[in-house]
Amino acid sequence: MNILVSAKDLSKKYGTLAAVDGISFEIREGECFGFLGPNGAGKTTTIKMIHCVSPVTSGILIVNGLPAHINNRALKMMTGVVPQEITLDIDLTVYENLIIFANFFDIPKREAKKRIAELLKFVELEQKRDSKIDALSTGMKRRLLVARALLNHPKLIVADEPTTGLDPQARHLIWQRLRQLKSQGVTLILTTQYMEEAHQLCDRIVVMHKGKILKEGEPSKLVEEEIGREVVEVRVPEEEDERIIGHLSSFPCGHERVGDTLYFYCQDGQGLMRKLIELDLHNYLTRPATMEDVFLKLTGRSLIE
Amino acid sequence: MNLSYRIYYVFLRNLVSYKRFVIPTFLVSLIEPLFYLITFGIGMGAYMGYFGGKPYLYFLVPGVLVSSVMLSSTFECLYGTFVKIVHEKLYDSLIATPVSAEDAVAGDIAWGTFRGLVSGTLMMIVAIIMGIFPVSLLSVLLLLLLMVFVGILFASLAMIVTSVSPSFDFFNYYTELIITPMLFFSGVFFPLDKFPAWMKTLSEFMPLTHAVKISRAVFSGAHNPRLIWNFLVILVLETVAFYVGIKSMKKRLIK
Repeated sequence: MNILVSAKDLSKKYGTLAAVDGISFEIREGECFGFLGPNGAGKTTTIKMIHCVSPVTSGILIVNGLPAHINNRALKMMTGVVPQEITLDIDLTVYENLIIFANFFDIPKREAKKRIAELLKFVELEQKRDSKIDALSTGMKRRLLVARALLNHPKLIVADEPTTGLDPQARHLIWQRLRQLKSQGVTLILTTQYMEEAHQLCDRIVVMHKGKILKEGEPSKLVEEEIGREVVEVRVPEEEDERIIGHLSSFPCGHERVGDTLYFYCQDGQGLMRKLIELDLHNYLTRPATMEDVFLKLTGRSLIE
Repeated sequence: MNLSYRIYYVFLRNLVSYKRFVIPTFLVSLIEPLFYLITFGIGMGAYMGYFGGKPYLYFLVPGVLVSSVMLSSTFECLYGTFVKIVHEKLYDSLIATPVSAEDAVAGDIAWGTFRGLVSGTLMMIVAIIMGIFPVSLLSVLLLLLLMVFVGILFASLAMIVTSVSPSFDFFNYYTELIITPMLFFSGVFFPLDKFPAWMKTLSEFMPLTHAVKISRAVFSGAHNPRLIWNFLVILVLETVAFYVGIKSMKKRLIK
């Protein structure tokens, strides 16, 4: 498969702060590639460099065979951006937002009108064509942002936390639309803090923390490698740890104490559970391991601010 | 400078959004200069007698024309641009399209200029209704052209202020310390020849002074070669301000 985006030792510095610190990655044509990480990890900065609105401090960043640069109009022409913040034009209606934006891509008026009609249908906003932006719900605004990003029939879509603040219905609709685009051959680059979103959409992900890439891989493989298949959470005071861990020593499980909870990461959670019952504990549960466990293991469970 | 024809698209965006604000903005851009025309022109003018053989209003109107352009262009590129670029982050998504940051900022300067031109034109219509006519049709056309140059100048200067402004409050320094004094020291309301020498020198450094001189000469048809100097001052100053304004605002937009 062709490589659409390739980065080598890519860095971005703001003064002395390294927002992105020498990362390398490759994104293939037609895949959905996710950047995961807590706030301030450098995800947004990275994708801003990819879609040419933030200059590269050092390293190499090639998109579609061209070096990414803020003056690279050719790259901007083939990219659709769904921003993190709702940057719709509140002075204009839904339709005006789109027709003005189509101008920026030199799309002829007649063609633009055709595309707008199709896109409003695609994101289920036909009824809201002449509404002001204030009259839309957050979910509608996010859908409009998706429609706006598609006006230029992009080859690459960059979406920065596209479902932040949405209810489940709205979120699933956006996921469906993004998957639909991927099936049409569009390359998707996504940043997210929602692990489920990464799992639902991404073929491959990288986990970023403090400007660096900690891990790269397919979501389910990463879970398997980093955590195992199941997680057992035992809510007990810390003093009990030694007794419990000693009792379970025959199981090949990793364990970790965080706050009020003792976590066990294992292949066979059921066996461990049966053993736990012998200890007469009350507050515990077993569940499948998720991306969220990988994320927390890699980036730490303490708050990041 | 990465400028292109896409400046027009940014201008067009402003025009489409403007249609909702046409009435209030027309009123606002008319009221202040109209207030000067009535108070100074009619009220004070009654005591002023004749200026160079003509009523005081003939002296006042050309000055008020260019100062209304100055005020409108300035305010549009202070408050209007600040809301769009800094508050609403409207241009963050725009620069992700083939429109460059330079196009975006230049589009806003063009818009500020247009707003100035609209105000100046409205003012001229009011003056004509009041019976104060420019000397010829050519003079009307030249005045409109002058308004464009004056608009670009003050829109660009305001853009520089906006690009470094942390909040609305900051604009007060510029409007109270630069714009308002300029209104009174540039010979809009009275001739400068009774000023002491140092004040005359000071007024030479105010761009509005030069605009007023040209406007007054064109309005009455009293051309003289010194106007070329006045025009050059405006031209050089606005070229520099346009360049600096765009560069500085780009710094704010692209990080």
